[in-house]
Amino acid sequence: MPYFTVFKMRLRMELQYRGAMIGGIVCQMFFGLILVALYRALYAGKPQSIPIESVATYVWLQQAFFRMMLASDSELVDKIKSGDIAYDMCRPVDMYGFYYARIMAQKLMGSLMRAVPMLIVAFLLPKGWGISLPASFLELISAIPALLLGLLCVCALENITVAFTMKTLDPRGIQGLLNLLMMTLSGNLFPLTLFPESWQKVITFLPYAQLLDAPIRFYTGEYLPNEAFRIYGIQAFWVVILIALGVYMWNANKKRMVVQGG
Amino acid sequence: MNTLKLYIKSIGILLKSHLQYPSSFFMQTLAQLVMEGGEMMVVILIVDRFESLKGWSGGNLYFFFGIMSVSFYLTEMFGRGITGDFPSMIRTGRLDTFLVRPRGVLTQVLCGGTDPRRITCIAVGVAALIMGSNFSNIVWNPLKVLVLVESIAMSCLLILGLFMIEAIFCIFSVKSVELVNAITYGGRSACQYPIDIYPLPLRALFTVIAPFALTMHVPASWILDKPLYGWPSWTAFVTPLSGALVFAVMTVLFHLGIRHYRSTGS
Repeated sequence: MPYFTVFKMRLRMELQYRGAMIGGIVCQMFFGLILVALYRALYAGKPQSIPIESVATYVWLQQAFFRMMLASDSELVDKIKSGDIAYDMCRPVDMYGFYYARIMAQKLMGSLMRAVPMLIVAFLLPKGWGISLPASFLELISAIPALLLGLLCVCALENITVAFTMKTLDPRGIQGLLNLLMMTLSGNLFPLTLFPESWQKVITFLPYAQLLDAPIRFYTGEYLPNEAFRIYGIQAFWVVILIALGVYMWNANKKRMVVQGG
Repeated sequence: MNTLKLYIKSIGILLKSHLQYPSSFFMQTLAQLVMEGGEMMVVILIVDRFESLKGWSGGNLYFFFGIMSVSFYLTEMFGRGITGDFPSMIRTGRLDTFLVRPRGVLTQVLCGGTDPRRITCIAVGVAALIMGSNFSNIVWNPLKVLVLVESIAMSCLLILGLFMIEAIFCIFSVKSVELVNAITYGGRSACQYPIDIYPLPLRALFTVIAPFALTMHVPASWILDKPLYGWPSWTAFVTPLSGALVFAVMTVLFHLGIRHYRSTGS
C-alpha cells in the first residue's frame, strides 16, 4: 500500500522537529492557563450547570490537540504555487489519497508529540486548574474512536481547503476564512459546552464539532457511552461527505490545472 | 519631521502595492473581520452566560475588549515591519541594504511594512468601544477623551516594544523565537479582560514585565469611574507612560543588537 508507506515516512519526518516543539508547547500551555484563569473568575461570579473542572479539562484537551487542527502541508502549498504539482500528477498513485495520508501523519504525530507532555503537566496542576481524570474508564474507551473519526474529518477538511488553494493559488483569503470558522465552531476559541443551549443543538451537528468537541464530550462524560454509536454515526457521515466532496473538487481541479511555469 | 513625511509616503506606496491584487486583498480583509468578529462574539457569549465578571458589567468588558483591539491592531497595521516582517528581513538579508542607507534602521524597518487588512479589526474594536461606552453610560468630557487617546497611543508603543524583544532575539538567533508570542499574543488574549480577575503571578507579569495593566486597565477603569484597586485619579494619567518607557528601553537595546548584527550572507 503506497498510501501507508507515505503515512509512515511522514510520521518519522514529523518526529524530527522536536526542537520547534518545545517553544510551541510552552506557548500553548500559557494560553491554556490564561483561559482557565478567565473561566475560573467567571465561575466565581456565576457557577454554571457544567462544573468548572469539565471546562478546565475541555480547555486543556483543546490546547493539547491544537496542532491537529491548524497544521497544513506547506510543501504542498509551495508545490501548487510553483507548479511542481505537475510531477505529482505523473505518479502512479491517487493524488488525493497520497496527500490525505501525508496530512494525516503530520496531524497525528504533530499533535501526539505535543499533547503527551502537555497533558502530563496539566494533570499535575491543582484540581480545578488542571485536567481531570476521564468520567469513567468506559468513557475514555469511547472517546478514542471519536478522536480517530475526528482526525479523519479534519484531514478531509484540510484537503478541501487545499482544493481552494489550487483554484486561487493564494493560500490566504478563503483558506484563512475557513480556518477561522474552524477555530470558532470547533470549540477552540470558546468551549462549545458554554455556547447557548439552543445553538449547541445545531453546532454539534456541524462537521467542525466532530473534530475535538465530540471526543472531549465523551471524556468529560457529557456524552454517555450508550450514545456512542449515534455520535460515531454522525462523525462517519461527515467523514464520507467531506472526503467525497474533497475528491470531487480535486478531480475537477485536475482537469483545469494551470501549472505556473518557470 | 522629515522622517515622518518619509514614513507616510512609504505607507502610501505600500498601500498601493496591496491594492494591486484587489480580490485577494478584499478576501483577506474579510477574513480579518471574521477573526476579530469571532473574538468579539466570544465576549458577547460570555456576557450572555455570565452577565458580569468580578464586579465588571458586560458594558465594561466590551470597553476593555475595544481598547485592546484598537491598540493591538493599530500597532500591527502601522508597525508591520517589526511585528511581522522582521524575521524574514534577517533571514533573507534584506536588513543589510538598510544598513548602508542614510536613515535609521528602525525607521526603515517600520517604513518597510504595513498591513492595511487590519483595518477591519480596528473597526470591530471601535464598535466594541462604542458599545461599551453606551452600556456603561460613560459621561464623556475632554479629560476622559484625552486619557483614552493617551492610553491607546501608549499601548501601541508598549506592544511595539514587546514585539521588538522578538526582533532583538532574532538578530542573534536568526530564527524567530516563538516563545515571545506568550507575552505579545498571550498579553492580548489575557488583557482584553481587566487584570484584577487573574491570580497574582499573571497580574505581576502583565503589570511589571509587560505592563498592559498600566497602559490600558488603569486609565480605562478610571474612564469607567471604577478606578482599578481604588488608585487615585492622577495614576490614570501617569501609568500609561510606562508604554513609552518600554519602547524607549527596547529601542536602545535594538540599536545595541544591530551593532552586533552579522548578516546571514544570503
